[in-house]
Amino acid sequence: MVGHYDENMLPEMLPIYYTRLFPQNIFCRWLTCGSSPQPLSNRELSFTLADDVYLRYLSISNQKELQTLLQKKCPHKLDIGAVYNTKPSIGRHDAVVLSRELVFDIDLTDYDEVRTCCQEAKVCEKCWKFMVIACEIIDKTLKEDFGFQSILWVFSGRRGIHCWVSDYEARTLDSPGRGAVADYLCLIMGGDNQNKKVHLGSDNLHSSIRRALTIIDKYFEQLLQDQEFFSTSDRLDKLLKMIPDETLRSQVQKNLESMPDSSLERWKTFLSLYENYTRESGNNSRKIRYLVEEIKIQYCYPRLDVNVTKGFNHLLKSPFSIHPKTGKVSVVFKPSNAKNMKLDEIPSIYSLLDDSAPDNAQHETNMRTAVKNFQEVVFSLEKAEAIRRKNDANMSIEF
Amino acid sequence: MDLNIRRKSTKVPLTGSLVETYPHDLQMYKIPPIEDITLQEFENLALERVTLLRSLATATTLKGLRMYSEEWTDYVIGELRTQGLKYYAKLCEKSSCATTEADLQARRKDHIAHFILRLAYCRTEELRRWFVARELELFKMRFATMRGEAIETFFKLNNLCYTSITDEEKSEIIHYLRESTPHPNIENMKFYKVKFYEVLDLVKMRKVYLSGGYAYIAHKDFISVLSAQYRTQLKQSLAVACHHLGEIEQDERLVSLLKGLHQSYSGNDYSSAKAVIPIENLDSFAVKSFPLCMRQLHEQLRVAHHLRHGGRLQYGLFLKGIGVTLEDSLRFWREEFTKLMDLDKFEKQYAYNVRYNYGKEGSKKNYSPFSCLKIINTTVGPGDCHGCPYKHCDVGILKNRLQGYGFDTQAIGEIIDITKKGHFQVACSKYFDAVHHSDLGLGINHPNQYFEESQKIAKGDVKVEIKKEVKSAPVKKEVVDELDEMDFDEVM
Repeated sequence: MVGHYDENMLPEMLPIYYTRLFPQNIFCRWLTCGSSPQPLSNRELSFTLADDVYLRYLSISNQKELQTLLQKKCPHKLDIGAVYNTKPSIGRHDAVVLSRELVFDIDLTDYDEVRTCCQEAKVCEKCWKFMVIACEIIDKTLKEDFGFQSILWVFSGRRGIHCWVSDYEARTLDSPGRGAVADYLCLIMGGDNQNKKVHLGSDNLHSSIRRALTIIDKYFEQLLQDQEFFSTSDRLDKLLKMIPDETLRSQVQKNLESMPDSSLERWKTFLSLYENYTRESGNNSRKIRYLVEEIKIQYCYPRLDVNVTKGFNHLLKSPFSIHPKTGKVSVVFKPSNAKNMKLDEIPSIYSLLDDSAPDNAQHETNMRTAVKNFQEVVFSLEKAEAIRRKNDANMSIEF
Repeated sequence: MDLNIRRKSTKVPLTGSLVETYPHDLQMYKIPPIEDITLQEFENLALERVTLLRSLATATTLKGLRMYSEEWTDYVIGELRTQGLKYYAKLCEKSSCATTEADLQARRKDHIAHFILRLAYCRTEELRRWFVARELELFKMRFATMRGEAIETFFKLNNLCYTSITDEEKSEIIHYLRESTPHPNIENMKFYKVKFYEVLDLVKMRKVYLSGGYAYIAHKDFISVLSAQYRTQLKQSLAVACHHLGEIEQDERLVSLLKGLHQSYSGNDYSSAKAVIPIENLDSFAVKSFPLCMRQLHEQLRVAHHLRHGGRLQYGLFLKGIGVTLEDSLRFWREEFTKLMDLDKFEKQYAYNVRYNYGKEGSKKNYSPFSCLKIINTTVGPGDCHGCPYKHCDVGILKNRLQGYGFDTQAIGEIIDITKKGHFQVACSKYFDAVHHSDLGLGINHPNQYFEESQKIAKGDVKVEIKKEVKSAPVKKEVVDELDEMDFDEVM
């Protein structure tokens, strides 16, 4: 029950939250593994205190220090930065960034030009489906194409999701490498001055794009009904502007405008018009060979904040940090379970700390599940790290 | 010259006959030359290679040719011929492993000149980036002109051993290879398995099949692996060279030459302005003296009272460059933004960035305004309206905007035609002429250069009646202005 939440209560509640509920042990183990072979103390943490006071270049060497620091500063928000060659508090501007998880940040505000249910900071069950699709596509790509395994998915606290890849190869990937991964995933390009933002050309579609389209297809019709992408003349206009072929465009316009509002029906009509048109015009329609796919991608495909992924030392909100505006916990979730997540069932600090809150029991259960999800990822990361170090040791013996 | 000779001395030094030293037209420049040469030759070789690298940049920017396309290569080689650099033309035209005296001499010059420029270009991050980008273009262009036999020799000479995947493995994934690899005749090609980070340029463009962290590449994709290795090696050597500069610069005769090369090619970065421009005049400047990219940001800001991060950065730095003071800048952004948000929010979330642009926060670096290339290659996402209007605008929208500004139909037609061909900077130059009713055909490479040129006309320094008479000197210098920011490979 977000409505009951009052930001002024944070200073009282946060110390209790950090002591009783924040998974300090697992958190430290995750960061330790993710900083290796550098010590945990070379990792930058940053705190946002009350009134947006910002503390950078903090660090801890163990769980005890984390607890002390959290109690002393009582951060309203907790961010994680990069691993440096020295303790970040000592090195400051001279320190060199050695590694950092490969991260992805997807935010629903980047969907404002396509979503119709909410705008800006608002989010509802309907537009959450965009996040479900984004999570599934990115997760599959990271695992199948790039071979990454330690992937952590986190609710950002309000209107988006974060993804942390802790595999050694991902952590040590340099800036051009991160840029390439981001670009590989990025299909929607262009600003407010470009109507059509997806261009797939006319050659074969890359395997990763085909896979993404199979995922989109699972949700597309539902999303079409939820969002009513084409139901008003403004929205229809957006679709029309994406059709580069004038003849087809005017056909579509004529037919769709005279139809009932239903986006699903309009889409079906569009599909049959498109098929007829391409069949009749044969080779001339090569330019619009993937028009249907391009439209689906523009409306549904993940919209990454690529700068977060490309930057080596971009700070990103920590798992289990509290979102100061909503009070919600940045819970860890399983990508396979993203579609079952309900926004109002995501635990908030308020209902977790108030026994009498109506959501208390359910939020506590969900908090436990989230910690368990976190543990699973951290355990497998620890195993992978142990194997990697053993292999490294063997390698150096051989020489 | 022997900048890292101590470290490399374990390797066989370059002695013996030229045939042994230079068996192939294409080199990876792993070992520095140690022979003695005259100062005159030193200087000539340096200047000639700068000319070569510059012609690569010109082909892409001023001529607007697609990199590595046939026209692009033809332009570069033609340019080398007219400049009297026949030996480079020869090396670039058809890389081979012949052993005539002319071949060997050309390779020797290529080798020495490359190492001289390392010394000239290792000084700053920007110079290094420019140099690495050009050398890589050169390397790729030369690799592309190689024939089958020469390629094989090149691989052997450089100890590049890769084993192809088995036929069984290939037949299992042939379906995906066909989907994801843009080559014809996949069936008859051998495929090799390399880690994805060895071929980042292919990953970036989605031109390779990826599975489990490995990229499956065809033989001709090896240029990606090679250029990635070459890039890494070159970057490291430049860092090493930079450390040893002190030793080299004990010889004063070299210092002036090496620094001179650097100076003539770094040019103005517009990071500090000469005049002070009052913000009250911005509305009229936007119409008369701003390039379209800045005009549209200015108008957007006035209409929406907000710009997203990319827009604030691009426009904010431009304003700094034309001479808006920090205080004025803060006032300007505050006045617009607080029409939508309260003052407190502006001070907390946005004022920092304004001060940051002026080097007053964070790493306290005095940031340079973006050049055209940086703007053209910038990422523009949903909700953004920065970038280059000729690249990041639908033609229809661009046309409407120009009509709204009241240009005549002929000028609009010209701008649109050039835009469609992808010559964004040329389109910008046409826009300049349309605004100023001139026919200067300037080479526009930097929004702040645009502004300065426009101011010259406004102040009467340049007479508009002068038609087609562009002074060659400033244009050449401008070519160079924008180069320090660019890095094509990161864009490709």
